[in-house]
Amino acid sequence: MIQGRYFPPGSSRAISADLRNTEQGLILHLDRQDDVLQPGMPKVSDPLAGVPRKLTFADGGVFEAPHGADIDGLLRVRGGFFARLAQLEKSLAFVAVAAVAVVGLLFLIYRFGIPLLATGAAAVTPPVVVAAMDRGTLETVDRTVFSPSELDEETQARLRRIFGELSAMVEPAGPQLRLLLREGGVVGANALALPGGTIIVTDDLVKLAETDDEIAGVMAHEIGHVRERHSLKQIYRVLGIGFMIGVIGGDASQLVDDVVTQAAAFQTLVYARGFEADADRFSVALMVRAGRDPTAFVDLLDRIVGTSGGSSETGWLSTHPGTQDRRQAVLEAARGLGWDG
Amino acid sequence: MDQNTIGAGSDVRELRFSFTGKAVEYFGIWIVNLLLSIVTLGIYTAWAKVRRLRYFYGNTWLDGHNFEYHARPIKILLGRVIVVALLIVYNLLVSVSPFFGLLIILYILVFPWLLNKSMAFNARMTSYRNVRLNFRGSYLGALGVFIVMPLATILSLGLLAPVASRLANNYIGRHLGYGMARFDTRAPLGALYANLGATVLFVILVALVCSGLGFVIGTGASTIGGLAEDGEEALLRLISSGPIIGAMVGGYVALTLAYLFYAAGVRNVAFNHTTLDGAHRLSSRVGRFRYVWILVSNLFATLLTLGLLRPWAAVRTWRYLASSTGLQAVGSLDHFVDGAAPEGNVGAAEFFDIEGIDFGL
Repeated sequence: MIQGRYFPPGSSRAISADLRNTEQGLILHLDRQDDVLQPGMPKVSDPLAGVPRKLTFADGGVFEAPHGADIDGLLRVRGGFFARLAQLEKSLAFVAVAAVAVVGLLFLIYRFGIPLLATGAAAVTPPVVVAAMDRGTLETVDRTVFSPSELDEETQARLRRIFGELSAMVEPAGPQLRLLLREGGVVGANALALPGGTIIVTDDLVKLAETDDEIAGVMAHEIGHVRERHSLKQIYRVLGIGFMIGVIGGDASQLVDDVVTQAAAFQTLVYARGFEADADRFSVALMVRAGRDPTAFVDLLDRIVGTSGGSSETGWLSTHPGTQDRRQAVLEAARGLGWDG
Repeated sequence: MDQNTIGAGSDVRELRFSFTGKAVEYFGIWIVNLLLSIVTLGIYTAWAKVRRLRYFYGNTWLDGHNFEYHARPIKILLGRVIVVALLIVYNLLVSVSPFFGLLIILYILVFPWLLNKSMAFNARMTSYRNVRLNFRGSYLGALGVFIVMPLATILSLGLLAPVASRLANNYIGRHLGYGMARFDTRAPLGALYANLGATVLFVILVALVCSGLGFVIGTGASTIGGLAEDGEEALLRLISSGPIIGAMVGGYVALTLAYLFYAAGVRNVAFNHTTLDGAHRLSSRVGRFRYVWILVSNLFATLLTLGLLRPWAAVRTWRYLASSTGLQAVGSLDHFVDGAAPEGNVGAAEFFDIEGIDFGL
């Protein structure tokens, strides 16, 4: 027998009551009233630390058992999944193991799981979607920052020839490569690759280049971004991290949420730097194959960092590795491929 | 669990809310929730949410009775799947063509409806003494209070914030019910403007401290950074931008703290002018400085322990808010009766949960 409180259906009135399980079924006895047989099996709330369990009968009446009362024993049922979970939650040993497992799993997912999934997702993204993304982005940047290139016909033709030469040397698998020349406006000297194979080079960058090899190296770098699907991988990694934060931060306060989101945004810069190093290696290999100077483009990067102040500088500095380290890595990669310029 | 003292009238009782949850206890629940959520790739988060809220509601007591959270995890899961799918489709559409950004207009039009449905769901899933809360919103009311008023507040540079707070709290209070009984909130404008004034003083205080700190840290960091870079030009540039960035971060922090300070004050005013069934009065006396201090120290404790003190922080906040809340009950609370009420929409509720939009303290 369990002593507790009874609430009539839909009422806030609490009545002292006790509940017995007899051969006829559950019998509810209310203070100063007759016994009432409760037909059927009541719905019972799952056990949880500190919370009284409640039995809801067929008519909507509720019996509230004091916390810790052996409801499962009275009803002669085995505790379900959550009964066992409530036991585990109280076990210090299990909680400690769970804490270690959570930390370990989060590290593995973050370090290996998300990059792996992003690579897979990037590989199976339909070309139609990628092409549509290119169109959308191009439309936006053309309307907001870029204007048509002001380079003379001759220079444009020369740039196209260099680009054609380079793209002919990479494997045809993947999106079709195409070069667009634009006056960069506030972006200044820069080059960018869209996931669908569109590569944009700004007038300022071309003007800053002293040799064809310099600009060719940047084009090869951007081709590397396209061929290795860096933009798509980046999008999926950001999505993955966002999802991970959503899963672990279910009860996080607004303040914690804000800080973690900032940290995640910072983390994408770290990913971006990894992609830049990959694209550099791709550029070096392609330039060596094309018989051009694979290290020339680092000179151009130096000049960009030198001339740009203000906002464009932070972009370069924070998402790209420092040019000193970069020069070193590029030289090593070039020498590794037998280049001896 | 609660302290009952006989008030001035013969059957007026000053009741206090209390929270009996413990940090160690909740840590176990939290870590198991986390483990199962990760192992099931997020599916368990729906069960985790129900278990978490059942723990917090279930350990919150008033007059010897606890609150309860009733949502079924499978419904929460369904709501989440729908919301995540819609968000993915929306983001895909926008990245394909910026034209789809115009969907934001549709979103603004649907927002009041979503909000009503969400509040109805959350109210309906909450019960006390076997009687559930309920919420009956009106589309136009929500449109005015949650779309028009925030815009007016921004346009007035915050001067209309107390008016917006008053309308929002009155709207929520007047549409909220406990069984067949209704709540009623009449937040006075004077008290809300006094709260805004106190907040402004608070901002000035915090901004001075934070931007001063930010200036010093920024200057220090940029000097070190500049020296390490070993270039005079870079040094000059960074010295000039470091303090500005530092001061900007400081200003942002000051505004965030100000929001918390202001919100705590609004809660006090709104609760203290809310009645249930025309007789029982809610009360709230959250210390504004204390509340800001609790949240900020929680943040640092959580971050410095890589999240491990999060359960302690959550329990601490909840316990403080519960203990700062009371009910002046006239007579007994056993005459309330449940009735039919709008069920709300779990998808709407999960949308606000996932987007991190939270109303009320």
